Amino acid sequence: MKLDIIRLKEIYKIYNENTHALDGLNFSMNKGDWTTITGPSGSGKTTLLNIIGCLDSPTKGSVFINGTKITGLNQKELTCFRREHIGLIFQQYHLVPYLTALENVMMAQYYHSVVDETQAIDVLKRVGLSHRLTHIPAHLSGGEQQRVCIARALINEPEILLADEPTGNLDQKNGEVVLKLIKDLHKEGHTIILITHNPEIAQLGERRINLIDGRVDFDSYKNR
Amino acid sequence: MFIRILRKSLSKRKSRIAIAVISVIIGAAIATALLSVSLDVSEKVGQEFRKYGANLLVVPESDTIDVGFPGVEFGSVTEQRYISESDIWKIKSIYWRNNVLGFTPLLYQVVIIGQGIDAQQVVLVGTYFNKEVEILEPYSPNDDSTFTTGIKEISPWWNVEGEWIEDSNDTTGSMIGTNVAEKLNLTLGDSYTIKYIDTFENGYNETYYNLTVTGIITTGGNEDDQIFVNLQVAQDITSRDDKIHTVQVSALCNACPVDTFAEEIEGKISDIEARTVKQLVSAEMSILGKIENMMFLVTIVALLASALGVTTTMTTSVIERKKEIGLMKSVGAENKKIMSLFFSEATIIGIIGGIAGFIIGVILAQIIGISVFNTSITPRLEIIPIVLLVSITVALLASIIPIRRAIRVEPAVVLRGE
Repeated sequence: MKLDIIRLKEIYKIYNENTHALDGLNFSMNKGDWTTITGPSGSGKTTLLNIIGCLDSPTKGSVFINGTKITGLNQKELTCFRREHIGLIFQQYHLVPYLTALENVMMAQYYHSVVDETQAIDVLKRVGLSHRLTHIPAHLSGGEQQRVCIARALINEPEILLADEPTGNLDQKNGEVVLKLIKDLHKEGHTIILITHNPEIAQLGERRINLIDGRVDFDSYKNR
Repeated sequence: MFIRILRKSLSKRKSRIAIAVISVIIGAAIATALLSVSLDVSEKVGQEFRKYGANLLVVPESDTIDVGFPGVEFGSVTEQRYISESDIWKIKSIYWRNNVLGFTPLLYQVVIIGQGIDAQQVVLVGTYFNKEVEILEPYSPNDDSTFTTGIKEISPWWNVEGEWIEDSNDTTGSMIGTNVAEKLNLTLGDSYTIKYIDTFENGYNETYYNLTVTGIITTGGNEDDQIFVNLQVAQDITSRDDKIHTVQVSALCNACPVDTFAEEIEGKISDIEARTVKQLVSAEMSILGKIENMMFLVTIVALLASALGVTTTMTTSVIERKKEIGLMKSVGAENKKIMSLFFSEATIIGIIGGIAGFIIGVILAQIIGISVFNTSITPRLEIIPIVLLVSITVALLASIIPIRRAIRVEPAVVLRGE
């Protein structure tokens, strides 16, 4: 039996009386599972991801990650928790423009603990960028930038990887490379939560949660 | 890694950083220039003031003696007292000796010139003109053992027709006031005889002495009615060996309180009083104070302008780097690390601006010195740490508001592009 790694209880995110980004979500995610979150724009996918990623807090409700109730943590504790447990993969990569691929990865090491250049090079090799270590983002293709983003997310060995439309800005070929990397990471035991609009990618995970207006529209398991 | 991020972040935004550095340079340059001018000009203005005469007068401790019985006073009588000429070198052996620009002893005596109904009473003044005084016990072993001084040093503003008496052994030369020259119809090179009458209990003694006019003085003051000769001549004529009535001292008092100065002289020479010429001292202090206040205010305004420049630049920088800050936070950067990055940038801006500002300020000080005060300004290296400290402080203080803005950046908001 798989253990819960993420548990949400009655999660609400209310911006004003008429805007409920999340409207009473209740579900758990198993350790090592790949969960895909789908839904139309404005359905609350990114808000949910931000809450699980400790980047945002719910208006009401409780979130438990690895047994820790993160909804009771202050900003500094949330930052510490995030850097220990969560890796973030963004649709727009969000690399520091003046740092090289290697330095972008090392920056995450620096803010986590200590810098280990060899380890950073190894992670970049793993995502197929050993020949691009000293290139700045402007000199990398979209797919390469996304792989740097994945390497940065992996460098501190988080258990949970949160990916917000990771292939949304990529062509098919680069998208496939990135998805293969995510599949490999899943096989290695990482818990993956991936947001996508793409129905094909939505089929890749073991579980799919579809949100509409901040509520669970359907929650389906592939192999059950 | 921190250094790498800092270095690349600065080099990436050279033009933005340059604007902030220029802001600091302006403040630091003005601060350096005005501080240099202020320190140097205080001394130079002080020296200018010294041209208008002595600001300290050393006199015998008391010229009057109270008379009467215990509890019954009959008033006071004047007792002629003197200062010993052989003590006056001590004025140059006090702690503030370097601020003693000059001194001159004065011995006064009424003498008669001419005969019969043309006879005129004139005050004969014995003094130093340009005498080398031996400092018997210098305050420090490094001090000079002699000091050349005299009334020429104390009163350089005298308008002299002819020549100053330069030789301290000149026994016939005299400098006469313009009124004396007019009344007695004397001109340069003329010889004349003075008569000194020494009265004592059983009679009197007349002494005649021949003098030559080497210079005619015009001051607009008492000097116009007096005759000046070497002190030794006056002492010989009046049989007052080693005696003087007063000493005029010219002291540069911008660095030391003039009263302290006077007290120290009193401590060195017994039975004397050192009186400050209050009006002169207070006028001098007032003008120096006003100059310093004005420069202080201008410096503050310049530094505020610098701070405003840095604040504006840093705020723009924070706005431009919102995503970068959000990203750093999202990968685990705590607020203190974000703050340290921006404060380090501000410190570097302060250091570069401070050093460049100092160099420009030294040049600016020369321009101000020559154009306003007609004098060059000595560059003072001791200002560097002050200017650096001020520049860094201004840059750091000016960065507080932008940095507060930086740490309030919410990664969830900026990373989704809102």
